Amino acid sequence: MPYADPYLLPLAALLTAIGVTTIYRLEPDDAFRQSLWVVIGVAFFAVALVVYRHDYRRVETYKYLFGLGSLVLLALPALPGIGQTVNGARLWVKVGPLQFQPGELAKILLIVFLAGYLRDKREVLAQGRLKDFGPLLLIWGAAMLVLLQTNDLGSALLQFGIFLAMLYVATGRASFAAAGLVLFLFGAAAVYQVVDHVQQRVTIWLQPWTEEPVFCAQTGAQALRQDCGSFQLVKSLYSIGNGGFGGTGLGQGTFTTTAGDPIIPFLNTDFIYSAIAQELGLVGAAALLLVYMLFIARGMRIAIRADDGFSKLLAAGLTFGFALQTFIIVGGVLRVIPLTGITLPFVSYGGSSVVANFVLLAGLLLVSNRANAQHTLR
Amino acid sequence: MSGIEVDEALLILKIAFIVLLYLFIWRIVRSASRDFRTGGGGAQESMIISPGQAASLGPSKQKRARLVVLESPALAPGEEIPVDAAPVSIGRGGQNDIPLDGDEFSSARHARFETRRDGLWVEDTGSTNGTFVNGARVTTPRRLGRGDVVRVGQTDFRVDL
Repeated sequence: MPYADPYLLPLAALLTAIGVTTIYRLEPDDAFRQSLWVVIGVAFFAVALVVYRHDYRRVETYKYLFGLGSLVLLALPALPGIGQTVNGARLWVKVGPLQFQPGELAKILLIVFLAGYLRDKREVLAQGRLKDFGPLLLIWGAAMLVLLQTNDLGSALLQFGIFLAMLYVATGRASFAAAGLVLFLFGAAAVYQVVDHVQQRVTIWLQPWTEEPVFCAQTGAQALRQDCGSFQLVKSLYSIGNGGFGGTGLGQGTFTTTAGDPIIPFLNTDFIYSAIAQELGLVGAAALLLVYMLFIARGMRIAIRADDGFSKLLAAGLTFGFALQTFIIVGGVLRVIPLTGITLPFVSYGGSSVVANFVLLAGLLLVSNRANAQHTLR
Repeated sequence: MSGIEVDEALLILKIAFIVLLYLFIWRIVRSASRDFRTGGGGAQESMIISPGQAASLGPSKQKRARLVVLESPALAPGEEIPVDAAPVSIGRGGQNDIPLDGDEFSSARHARFETRRDGLWVEDTGSTNGTFVNGARVTTPRRLGRGDVVRVGQTDFRVDL
């Protein structure tokens, strides 16, 4: 890969290093497993680079297979027997000792499918006849089904956001993105009415503190909401506040009670950003976000430089997926949007996420290698 | 060592870590923005010598290979297509580097041209109607000489080295 973007790999390595360091500080056992997953992720990364070093674009021929694969992966957790419900959301698959979140890989397959499909159909879609919106409505429906099945607003928002962004890149029509957003809002509002779990999430987000005790669904008793439903979020906000400007310093943050119990559940997956914000402070957390911004800027630049439609869409989709995922989890932890548990790319503890993100990185490097080679040689 | 000394050492380490983190970001921003200023089309700075540069450094300077369209229902006769380090695929359908839309005798993935160290090669990538060099069907990858005529579907190319 002599022409591949020279910045992406160091940025990803920095994020991985920060992640493993923070996980080691929080849960040394998890850090070992995470390192193992990083090795597996790098193996996937290397295999992808070697297999597709000549021409990754032949995956376009199998786009429908990728689309189907992504739907199958998304549906897996809903299957009885192997599906697992963790923390109210049904996102996990457990086969024997192996436990993973297929949604992470489904995201990448979906992006490959959309890049191939939209490159084929962009002219037809850009005309804006109503019947051409069939696929859009179909995917909107699928996203809503996933939302209903898994009780997870984050994944649905992520998948649908990727779809809208890629549709916009393919057709150049902002009205499509706007229409899609309106549809999503309607859908989300409808689901809010029906599904209890989603209602709770929104209440937790809007009113994390109460002065009077309210009904607590977890214990079935009366309690202040900061001691009940929004316990995790509120403690995470205190954690960020404790960091202040310069942070407490690595290893100096307060994450356990004096009795030694962890204060925030799921600290090294969903809430790892608040742990980093406490120990490195505002400056450190801002640096982390800057690294994400640089990664995303490079990804978008690769999309701009790519010559053919498929590569452009692929790079834009992968980058946007990465960006949106970062936004959803950091926004959730900072109480900008309702909190949904997804991983912070490269940093959070989680095997499927690490592997998926290394595959994503391989995709971006492959596209950039080809695009830069063509620019340099011409 | 007293507690105050440890705290000071930790503080210095903490600041050093943050400074290093920002230094890293600053280096990337500076380096990447230089890349932006060259207008995007400029050569990318890289410590690795690219194959193109390597070829121009060596004693045997490789000339660029070109395919000249002689006759085609899809491409304009006389059009010249350069073949560089990256392989060039040809066939019916937009996923190819040379799309032959309108050439009914070509396959979706028909053939591939590739520059190797010893010249330009052509390889049939599983086409239905075959790829021909000077009238002979290509079954294994074949090296092309100057003036060879390559037939893909109903399209003829002349090889220009």
